[in-house]
Amino acid sequence: MLNKALRRRIVEIVTKAKEGHIPSSFSIVDLIDHIYGNLLRFDPQNPDWQERDQFILSKGHGCAGLYVVLEKYGLLSADQLASYSMTGGILGGHPDRTTVPFVEASTGSLGHGFPFSVGIALANKIKQLPGRVITLVGDGECHEGTIWESAHVAANQKLDNLTVVVDWNQSGAQLCPVDDLPAKWRAFGWQTHVFNGHDAAEIEAAFALVGKADGPLALVAKNIKGHGAKLTEGHGRWHHRIPDEQEYQELMEALS
Amino acid sequence: MKGLREQFADTMLRIGQQDESLVVMVGDISHGILQPFAKACPGRFFNIGILEPSMVSMAAGFAKQGLVPVTHTIAPFLIERSFEQLKLDFGYQALAGNFISVGGAFDYAQLGCSHHCYTDVSLLAHLPGSQVFCPGSAVELDVLFSSQYRANAINYFRLTENPHGVEFAPESIKPGKIISAREGQDVTIIALGPQLKNALSAATSLSARGIEAEVLYVHTFKPFDAAAVVDSLTKTRRIVVVEELSAQDGLYNAVLRAWDGRGRMLSRQLAINEFIHGYGSYEDLCERSGLSAGHIEQAAAELVSHEVD
Repeated sequence: MLNKALRRRIVEIVTKAKEGHIPSSFSIVDLIDHIYGNLLRFDPQNPDWQERDQFILSKGHGCAGLYVVLEKYGLLSADQLASYSMTGGILGGHPDRTTVPFVEASTGSLGHGFPFSVGIALANKIKQLPGRVITLVGDGECHEGTIWESAHVAANQKLDNLTVVVDWNQSGAQLCPVDDLPAKWRAFGWQTHVFNGHDAAEIEAAFALVGKADGPLALVAKNIKGHGAKLTEGHGRWHHRIPDEQEYQELMEALS
Repeated sequence: MKGLREQFADTMLRIGQQDESLVVMVGDISHGILQPFAKACPGRFFNIGILEPSMVSMAAGFAKQGLVPVTHTIAPFLIERSFEQLKLDFGYQALAGNFISVGGAFDYAQLGCSHHCYTDVSLLAHLPGSQVFCPGSAVELDVLFSSQYRANAINYFRLTENPHGVEFAPESIKPGKIISAREGQDVTIIALGPQLKNALSAATSLSARGIEAEVLYVHTFKPFDAAAVVDSLTKTRRIVVVEELSAQDGLYNAVLRAWDGRGRMLSRQLAINEFIHGYGSYEDLCERSGLSAGHIEQAAAELVSHEVD
């Protein structure tokens, strides 16, 4: 399993704050780690560097997975994570770009971060800026109409500086099981690649495609919600559950 | 007299040629009259599609990258349908942009209630950092937009299809300031945007009956010029509020808040009270909603017939 340490950190901050979506964060943390560690061009000393690449977490409820990665790369401090979801802290149960450096979008209501990203990518074209935009959406979020409205625009505007990463962990299939997501993205004119979002080699191969398409790129990650511990895997009560003491020990043991 | 939509196109062309950050997005309206802007400012005009909420989110992305977005379509779709995008992507994220609507209230009278919009002004006013303008003439739009489009704010301009017909001097139009359109001491009539026409007509009729009405004209709903209302009400102690807005939340509330705690006064609200299911001309729907010179005259005369204390 990749990133046991990041998963342990997620459990720590969520348990302490009594807030957070552990399975959603486990589902995407391997992808976010690769994006920050291997793909994004940014200046750690200057969050507003105009030519930087931008990562947008459109499914904002998975933000514990983002916070621990930002900490890993020195963009957030342990003290800042210690006050996660607490009075006086800057990190909440959904990310707020007005308070957190390197958080590029305030998200939470699903279906906002992705069209916002299309606007950023189109603005970079208008201003001839080199920055690429990588946006992570959930498969449940893909029920939102704004995803497909703006996917249509991105294809028509030939936004080759835009990549969407779809966390295809079958959350959406609980409600609408007839759902061929890769076919949908292809139908909307996006170059599409399906991969295992928890396998290092497949993650690396998928993100190697960024910048090589002649239009927008959809990387559809076959993920497992809650991946990392049997306790949290799958769909059900763990979606927004906080571990009790026994569950905390069990999770830490599974992630040791 | 020049229409507001025509002025909008001319203003975009003039400012767009001076300011390379100005980008215009429309939802498949006004693209014909905006062609001069599109030609003069290549790559900065997008007839983006019929997807208003996403258009607003994209405009927020433009703003984040340092562009000055202007987003334009019909009021119910730009504001009511897209309100969560306005609230979160602009308001919560503290981004600035310009939103230009047509079809506020019942300007599209014959198209029915799907194309009416009574709550746009109050909805935008709820957002921190918003400014709300209801210009009733082309020159007002040009002056207000030119001075405010780069303000660090969510700027909403509701363009009427029915200008009030009064030509104010450009230097008399100041953002956030009420214009005194007529002086009087017996009763105040305060009118928003196009209803100035009916307010002035009513004031003329009232004068013939020996009642001198003061007419206050509001082109900026937010920030609201409370001081001008207090000054006039201190004199008249009676006010008729005329607004092409939902009666639930609009100019009447702003007037009451301005006067709050200052003693007794008499007031009447002429506004839109319910969905309008019928059809007809703009004037027909004004008459049906009680937004006519006759209704204003009647309300003002009735207030004057009562003692305040």
